[in-house]
Amino acid sequence: MALLELKNVTKRFGGLVAVNQVSLEIDKGEFVGIVGPNGSGKTTLFNVINGVFFPEEGTVTFEGRDITRLPPFKRAPLGIGRTFQIPRPFASATVRENIAVGAMFGTQGRSLNVDGSLQIADQIIERVDLTAHRDKPAGALTPVEKKLMEIARSLAMKPKLLLMDEAMAGMHPNDIDQMVSFIKRVAEEENIAIVAMVEHIMRAVVGLAEKVIVLHQGSKIVDAPTKEALEDPKVVEVYLGHAPED
Amino acid sequence: MKQLPKYLPLAPVFAAYVVMFLIAENMEGMWQLMSMLLFYCALGQAFNVFMGMTGYVDFGYVAFLGMGTYGMALSITRLVQYEFLGVWIIVIGFALAMVMSTLLSMAVGAVALRLRGAYFAIATIGVNEGFRFLIEGARIWNGSEGMIFTADLNTILGREAAAALCTYWADIMVLVIAALAASVTLFYMRTKVGYALTALREDEDAAKVMGINVTKFKIIAFITSASLAGLLGATAWALKTPYVFPPEVFEIHYTIEAIIIAMLGGAGTLLGPVVGGLVYGLSKYYLSIFLPGFQLLIFAPVILVIIVLFPEGIVGMLKARTKGTGVERFIV
Repeated sequence: MALLELKNVTKRFGGLVAVNQVSLEIDKGEFVGIVGPNGSGKTTLFNVINGVFFPEEGTVTFEGRDITRLPPFKRAPLGIGRTFQIPRPFASATVRENIAVGAMFGTQGRSLNVDGSLQIADQIIERVDLTAHRDKPAGALTPVEKKLMEIARSLAMKPKLLLMDEAMAGMHPNDIDQMVSFIKRVAEEENIAIVAMVEHIMRAVVGLAEKVIVLHQGSKIVDAPTKEALEDPKVVEVYLGHAPED
Repeated sequence: MKQLPKYLPLAPVFAAYVVMFLIAENMEGMWQLMSMLLFYCALGQAFNVFMGMTGYVDFGYVAFLGMGTYGMALSITRLVQYEFLGVWIIVIGFALAMVMSTLLSMAVGAVALRLRGAYFAIATIGVNEGFRFLIEGARIWNGSEGMIFTADLNTILGREAAAALCTYWADIMVLVIAALAASVTLFYMRTKVGYALTALREDEDAAKVMGINVTKFKIIAFITSASLAGLLGATAWALKTPYVFPPEVFEIHYTIEAIIIAMLGGAGTLLGPVVGGLVYGLSKYYLSIFLPGFQLLIFAPVILVIIVLFPEGIVGMLKARTKGTGVERFIV
């Protein structure tokens, strides 16, 4: 059984079909890249998966349970985590408190009290090397630190599936390599399925993905193991006929 | 005992209240001023539980105080005939005050809490006025004639005890309510409720995606804040002055004062309402003595300056300044 399954999902905004009849499967612990140019429906697809929008058609199933119309706050405790394209820290709270919030309301939330959550936050802060910023308000971090904190916050949720929205956009290539390998390592250790969404075929992200899904104007055009996907003529076409960087 | 350090920040709050009490007890002519200051602190502290912690501004807040006042007034005027109840009438009055303000907050919350930010504020603006006109127009609870229950209070408690209640014990009860509101605030801050409220105040959508049932936590804060207001109304507006008139207890002026106190002191902080209540109350009192008629003219720019210089309020500024020092854990 797949961890996450979408069947013929369609989401419209008025006359605009943002996601058109998309079906896909994500397995436990899998690293999947979702690629597509601006406006191809990637963020909407994420919003359908974590419940910000409900689709007009189709079903979303998580661990065999139909969650198509489950509100987002009930999906997080099931194990669906998310990071945003532009980081959304709880600005006045400290880095430690931000990350503790993740633990507090995540998959283990019910059995964790505030102290337990803060302990988990401390462990994660050490792992992601944010120790120097632990007691700073999250709003005072640099953009890269905010991204790191947001990833740490979603890892604290102990998710089974982590949706990463343009997680690496605007970062220095060296930082990207470091970050991606860190995420990959944690995901392997804790058996987290990662769905990373990128606008361009980024070597660092796509290179590590086991599977690549390409969206174009709301429809899925390719869903294949990474190597095959990148050689697919349709993908080349979507990106204006340029061959993907290797 | 392990929990004790967590509640240490209550020390400066309680200390401030004790000092106010001691000044009132021991200094000639200070009782009235202290009782006003305590009322403002309690008002700010109760208001802060919702407004400070969620960032939602409820312009109809005074209606909860009004409901509390009516709760106590109804209990006294309707139960006075049952002599055997004695002082329990006051206790029932407090319970009724809480129930009535809680019910109103649930009704208001069910509609208004679906809205966000400015829309919530606009939706709540009419609550107090609407309620006042409902009571007056539909002649509920004596309509615009209000209720005067000095005589009933005398019947229930005897003349001397009733006088002591109005002039002394009512103020002590305001102090207790202020301390209670502060304790509830810190309790929330130290539990998941506080973390959830901070998260939703900063970014409601992100909070939802993180697994926080934002509606539930907003309602918890709203009801808590409203029931504290109900208690405050029952005490400061019914027991202290044993009469109730609709235009007085649904006056939006008090909501504005609550907003000023919370913002001035530091919204969402524990100490903020105390500092804000003291600064606001003292300046209002002394400005009206030394420059009668000009107090608002002077007070407005003072508030402007404070808000511009310390957008996080006085306590918010102190919090940032004391970071890393020993005082840090007292300023919350």
